[in-house]
Amino acid sequence: MSWHPRVFAWLERASDWLNPIVVKEVRQFTGGREFHSSFGVSLMLGLCVAFFGAAEAISATGTPGRWTFGALIGCLAFFGLVVVPLGAFNALRTERLEQTLELITLTTLSTRRVVIGKLLAQGVKLATLFAGLAPFIAMSFLLGGIDFVTILVSMLVLFSWALWVCAVSLFLSSLIKTRAISGLMFGAVGLMFFLVVVILGVPQVLFFVLSRGGVGSTGVSVGFVGGSLPWWVLAMATTFCLVSMMNLVLLAENRLSVPSENRVTPLRVGFAAQFLLLVAWVLSFIGEPVPTRTGAAEALAVLGGLHLALVAMFTVTEDLVLPRRVAMRMQEWSPVRQMLAILSPGGGRGALYVIAQMVILLAAVRILRPSGAGMGFSFAVCGYICFFSGVPVAAFRLLRPAAAAAFQLRVAVLVSLPLVMALPDILYYMLWRPYSFDINFATRHLINPFRTLANWPLVESKNLFAIPVVMGLIGVAAYSIVIGAGLKMTVESAIESSPSAPAREPGRADVY
Amino acid sequence: MSDAMLQLDGLVRHFDNVHAVDDISFSVERGKVLGFIGPNGAGKTTTMRMLATLETPQRGDARIGGYSVLDEPAKVRRITGFMPDSAGVYAHTTVTEYLDFFARAYHLRGAARREAVDSIIEFMGIGELRDRNVERLSKGLQQRVALGRALVHDPQVLILDEPAANLDPRARIEFRALIRELAADGKTILLSSHILTELAEMCDAIAVIEKGRILATGTVQEILVRMRPRRTLSARFAGPSDGVERFLLEQPGVVNVHEAGGRMRFEFEGDDEAQAALVGRLIAGGFRILEFTAHGADLEDLFIAITKGRVQ
Repeated sequence: MSWHPRVFAWLERASDWLNPIVVKEVRQFTGGREFHSSFGVSLMLGLCVAFFGAAEAISATGTPGRWTFGALIGCLAFFGLVVVPLGAFNALRTERLEQTLELITLTTLSTRRVVIGKLLAQGVKLATLFAGLAPFIAMSFLLGGIDFVTILVSMLVLFSWALWVCAVSLFLSSLIKTRAISGLMFGAVGLMFFLVVVILGVPQVLFFVLSRGGVGSTGVSVGFVGGSLPWWVLAMATTFCLVSMMNLVLLAENRLSVPSENRVTPLRVGFAAQFLLLVAWVLSFIGEPVPTRTGAAEALAVLGGLHLALVAMFTVTEDLVLPRRVAMRMQEWSPVRQMLAILSPGGGRGALYVIAQMVILLAAVRILRPSGAGMGFSFAVCGYICFFSGVPVAAFRLLRPAAAAAFQLRVAVLVSLPLVMALPDILYYMLWRPYSFDINFATRHLINPFRTLANWPLVESKNLFAIPVVMGLIGVAAYSIVIGAGLKMTVESAIESSPSAPAREPGRADVY
Repeated sequence: MSDAMLQLDGLVRHFDNVHAVDDISFSVERGKVLGFIGPNGAGKTTTMRMLATLETPQRGDARIGGYSVLDEPAKVRRITGFMPDSAGVYAHTTVTEYLDFFARAYHLRGAARREAVDSIIEFMGIGELRDRNVERLSKGLQQRVALGRALVHDPQVLILDEPAANLDPRARIEFRALIRELAADGKTILLSSHILTELAEMCDAIAVIEKGRILATGTVQEILVRMRPRRTLSARFAGPSDGVERFLLEQPGVVNVHEAGGRMRFEFEGDDEAQAALVGRLIAGGFRILEFTAHGADLEDLFIAITKGRVQ
């Protein structure tokens, strides 16, 4: 028996352990033209770079390994951050448009396994492309001028960010439903990924390569990022990459699951993990001198605030009615799991979830700045988040409960922001009719969270706390109303969700 | 104890102001084939999608093999095979790979998976196509592969939405035989079709739906009796048929007697015994009967009689 059938038989047996989506996708792309073309082009480019590198080495004019490696990484960045992610976008898009995703939904494969399978299949594609260029990269090492660790770490970083961009593309692809929009989105995503090559992936690789001695014979190097800092930054970026990639998978799963599933708890856990990671990284500066700690605390308030603002927009506005299946499952929970109820959907738990993270944020800032200085800024961040995510929701729930669907509430929250940004100036010019156009920060801008927080030192020096404090308190009161409405709904749905009761679903009209 | 494999209980699904499915209830017993008929937009596909767990009912529930589609969708999927009216196929994928993928997706592993794929290919009679790309097959052959996909995990219940839509006459005949074979194998089948004559031959019973509501359920004959208590009969007599019309009109249950094409055609209200007695009285009355025919209304007549062609 020749080795071929034995290898194929072994592969066939081994594939039983793989995600079925990976097996299908690999079969499809190995049978298609697109992948063969990309692979062929990448090999041609690798060959060209290697040829010029070897020519320079023969002429003995320097150590061409550095630029050879840089050029090869550039090729890989293009394929990894543009071509493969576009393929990922197209893979899910085609499944949805051709309705084959429904056929998969009918099977016992969970939506999460489908998304993970799609992502892993892109990983296989990337690994194949990387493996194809590996001999040329090994050659750049032999040509001299670049060390093995730099090569290895750069490739790992590029691989992980390429996979991250694939996760973004899968998420974006899960958002669209119609053929027309999907075409537009496909173009936009292509453009965006091309920019990502410039903005995200390549600079990080370059940062690492530069920190280890530059990339060219011209001696371009950045001494200020020497020592352990590059590793520190690398560790932060990589953990962020992994956690946010997990969240992107969960977001895509959320979009593709049927409404009766609990689509919220995994997302809450994922985003809480992302927030805690951010807090942990910032708290790692606790042993540093005061100015560094101050900077870290400010960074936490800004980044944590942005994270919480985004999370609040989706969690505080969520539907208060629980899908029957989720409600029934929650009734079976042990007391320990009941304590983690804020990670569950409906019942105003979204507001509690945001408040719990705000407490963690404030505590972390306090730990970094024991003197208490700068706490006002962090409180203002939290207060504004409560106000803008809570007040429109509470108003709808009190005044027009029938119209308080998640989508309408999110639109209300989004509309309220530009309104407060423009309204103070419009009213000022309409009522006072000043002679000149005054754009300086003034008391009227205190309802604008962006301008107020950007000018916080001025607010502190002039003691202009009254408006932010009042807005914060109103926000907290609005959150209380949302939580109260949610609790009332939970009691009602506990009666309704007994198996004998008729089903009542918050559901959308469409499945996906 | 009821042997219902498929039980719908007050299913409701609205899309904004459209009542796609409005309080539907019926059941299908194990090994039976139920034809689901109704005009376009009547709610057939939405009902089938709810049974396949692709849509969530807003009220009511359905049980497949005892499992609730609302509370235990994973268990329902394990025992249900659904073939939607339209679904694409994968590019660069052979028939074997296509079926193999779905077998994997149903958690079939190793030899069990290979056997499942091989037996489905054999059962569907698509052995010659096993290495051909699915996307390059004709619509009819793709339909056959799609039915194979729905059967690959050996489901107890089959839900088929317009399964014969793209089939040629020969394939339709084969498909009818296939359905009967599956039913004989103990599978419960719910299928919708617009080709009513074929449904009548395939199905043990039918359910007529319009505007999201069930208008009638039962066998074609049962519904006919309910819809039309009178049966249409005709007779041809040897020799002149003078006096036949008067004789018939004097018989109990006979109305609307008229001659058409050399036959006496009339409506008769009564069961089989009464019909046999009528024939006896005709012979005893000296009328020489050459032919005596009962004209049953077919499913198309029934469909037209029941539905009003209202769409939403």
